[in-house]
Amino acid sequence: MKAKRRIADPFDALGNQYRRDIVELLARKPHSVQEIADQLPISRPAVSRHLSVLNRAGLVSDEQVGARRLYRLDEPGAEAARRYLAQVWGNVGVRFKLFAENTRPRKRSRGPRELTALRTAGPRSSRGS
Amino acid sequence: MIEPLRISFEVACPPDHAFETWTERASAWWPPQHTVSHQPGAEIVFEPRPGGRIFERTPQGEEFEWGEIVRWDPPRGLSYRWHIATDPANATEVEIVFREMPGSTTRIEIEHGGWDRLGEIGQAWRDANRAGWDGVLPPYAEAARS
Repeated sequence: MKAKRRIADPFDALGNQYRRDIVELLARKPHSVQEIADQLPISRPAVSRHLSVLNRAGLVSDEQVGARRLYRLDEPGAEAARRYLAQVWGNVGVRFKLFAENTRPRKRSRGPRELTALRTAGPRSSRGS
Repeated sequence: MIEPLRISFEVACPPDHAFETWTERASAWWPPQHTVSHQPGAEIVFEPRPGGRIFERTPQGEEFEWGEIVRWDPPRGLSYRWHIATDPANATEVEIVFREMPGSTTRIEIEHGGWDRLGEIGQAWRDANRAGWDGVLPPYAEAARS
């Protein structure tokens, strides 16, 4: 984690789902590698690799606290996380809008536009053909 | 106090359908990458009452708590404590208003607050959040159409 070579854009670092998950966790409070690994379906070495990428992007820093090494969001990283969370809500809003506008209420006029797939589909399900 | 995140947008349907879509059919539109399990086919449940749980149930039956309903006022709105993928002690608060507009349209106003509890991100949040949220949605609507 010592190498401070910067990646051009923190959003490249946030292009990976697990790194976004890690940023979300760190946005709440500092975590150790083990604490992160406990909450995600990936191994400790994988968590360390992701943290290294986040560190080089200037998103995450680490410090030794007693016997534990804790990872936290850098201040500019917190801003990146804020923007990320804004994107999450934006994404939620768009998908909600598409769905609400293309379905009918269940209780009345259940027409041919009613979508039947009510379970989460793949990530690309909201895209048009 | 740290300003809440605010986002609002209009949907071309009445409030009761918007409310029902949000609370009864979240499984159909909630982005799967923002669930805890990231599993396709996960079911998202809002128990329809104050104190009701919000949770995700995977096809294997595993459940992950996302939050609890605080205010349940269909079709005008609801609020909930939100602690997806974190400790309930770190819950933030989400309030959603479904406002009836002319022409069978609903304006949805989302406010996500309670950040003061999260010391780590707080100051950056306060400094950066002045621009508000209204600019967030259009680029995404564009992307979703393309």
